[in-house]
Amino acid sequence: MSTNTLVLAGTRTNERLGAVLMAAFLGLGLVFMAGFAPAMALHNAAHDFRHTQNFPCH
Amino acid sequence: MIIRLVSAALVAGFLAAVVATGLQLSLTSPLIIAAERYEMQASHAPALLSPASLIVQVHSGHDHGEKDPSVSGGETAPEWQPGPGLPRMAFTALATLVGGVGYALLLGAVLLACGREPTPETGLRFAIAGFLAVALAPAVGLPPELPGMDAAPLAERQFWWVMTAAATAMGLYLIAIRRVPIAIAGGLVLIVAPHLAGAPETSHSASALPPGYAAQFAARSLGIAFVFWTVLGLSYGWAWAMLGRKATGPAHA
Repeated sequence: MSTNTLVLAGTRTNERLGAVLMAAFLGLGLVFMAGFAPAMALHNAAHDFRHTQNFPCH
Repeated sequence: MIIRLVSAALVAGFLAAVVATGLQLSLTSPLIIAAERYEMQASHAPALLSPASLIVQVHSGHDHGEKDPSVSGGETAPEWQPGPGLPRMAFTALATLVGGVGYALLLGAVLLACGREPTPETGLRFAIAGFLAVALAPAVGLPPELPGMDAAPLAERQFWWVMTAAATAMGLYLIAIRRVPIAIAGGLVLIVAPHLAGAPETSHSASALPPGYAAQFAARSLGIAFVFWTVLGLSYGWAWAMLGRKATGPAHA
């Protein structure tokens, strides 16, 4: 019984950890793309957004 | 769980991006376009008057309320950039959407990592922390700037920006969630340290840009960021609850 609960709690923690890591990774990737990516085309496309959201620009 | 998190982040990011895009296009984009005229005037001044720079000078008045398609088109950048007018607005909206979903995912990850059930209330609290960490704290050292304002090298500013955002977020976590005296002290140190270390020095050379534009832009930019984060937090909590209700039936409501 207690091992069952432990295993359950374990998988739940693992699932949560996986979700946190996955979301953090995806989120950082998207924010990097919109705010920091050095490629000129990306910079130009996101230019006004970067200025307004106070990402260092130019 | 990851599905629910990503779905809620998509909803929240979309809603926040819609609001922020509307505000950006009406409040800050006109200022950016007006500032680009000054930037171009400065960079084209020594050159002979080409037809493009003539147009720029003719239009360099104070009619910053409307977008002038000839202006951003007159920029002679060799790299691809969105066309003036509608394409440019569309890409601004797209970038806002990408950034909004990205921040929403981070918000969801932090809520989950801190063991908080996302509700509009906790969403709002964490979103305000997000605003403090990525908008207000970096802006203290590196004020939101318009094109054409002199600034330190990009890499230094980006490094300081990321460090400040990370240190402020960590500091807020220690103060608001750990809440023991030693953690609060550490949190305060983390929040203050980037500013004591100092942001990359902004050049104080005079610019042709009227200071009123810059001041207006900085205030509007922070205002938009605040609204963006507020909507993001509230709608993330709302979307999370809505998606949970759908998945687990009315018992969860």
